[in-house]
Amino acid sequence: MSRPDFGILRKQLLEAGISPRRTYRAITELNDHFDDIVDAAMADGRSRAEAERIATEALGELSEVSAAMAQQPQLKSWAWHHPRLALLVYPLACLAALPAVPLIAGVQHASEIGRWLTCLALGAFVTALMFLVLQLSILLA
Amino acid sequence: MAKSNPPFMSGVPELLLLRLLDQREMYGYELVRSIKQATDEAISLGEGVIYPVLHGLERNGSLKSRRKAVGGRTRVYYSLTAKGRQRLKKLSTDWRRIQNGITNALETPAHVQA
Repeated sequence: MSRPDFGILRKQLLEAGISPRRTYRAITELNDHFDDIVDAAMADGRSRAEAERIATEALGELSEVSAAMAQQPQLKSWAWHHPRLALLVYPLACLAALPAVPLIAGVQHASEIGRWLTCLALGAFVTALMFLVLQLSILLA
Repeated sequence: MAKSNPPFMSGVPELLLLRLLDQREMYGYELVRSIKQATDEAISLGEGVIYPVLHGLERNGSLKSRRKAVGGRTRVYYSLTAKGRQRLKKLSTDWRRIQNGITNALETPAHVQA
C-alpha cells in the first residue's frame, strides 16, 4: 500500500466550493501528517510498506475529510458564496490585468530581456558600422 | 479497515482541541498524539478529520495559525484566541452539565409514572 490519493481529495474539496488556498493547505497538512505517522512507525522498526498501511488506516477515510469540510460554509470560496457576482467580476478582473501581463513577464524575465536588448543593440551597431565602411569606400573610391 | 467517526462524537473533537490548545500552540499530528495521550486512547478517530475542525475553528476566530519550519517540514501551528477561550469555557460548562446528567441517570435510573 502507498500514499492515499490526495489528488481525489483535492478534486472533491474544489468541487465542494472550498477555496483553492484552503484546499492546498489542508492537503499539505494531511500529507505531512501521513509522513509523520510513517516516520514514527518506521522508527518503531516497521517496514515502509507496513508503516504506510498504518498511516493510511490512521488518517481514516479521506471522503470523511471532504464531507466535514463541505459541511462548513465558512470554508467555501468567495465565488461559491456569490456565483453571479463572480461571473461578472472575474472576467473584468482578467481584462483589467491583461495590460499588466507584459510588465509582470518583463520583471520575471528581466535578465533574459536585458541580454536580448544587448544583442539587438550590438547587431544594430555592427550593421551601422558596415554601412559606414561601405559609404566611406564608395566616397573615397 | 479505516476508522470512522460516529455522529455521537460530534462536538467532542472541538472541545478537546480547544482544551489542548489552551495550554500551548500545536500542529495537527501533535494534537492527535496529545488527544490519544490525554484520553488514554479512549477516543479513537480518523486522524484526518481533525483538519476540518481546526480550519473551521480558525475561520470562526477561535484559533489562529502560523507557519513554522521544523526539521525540513513547514508546520502549521494553531493557538487559541480570546474568542476561543470563551468558546472553550462554554463548551466545558455544557459538557460537564451533560456528563452530570448522564452520571445521575446511570446511578439512579428514574422512571416516569404512567
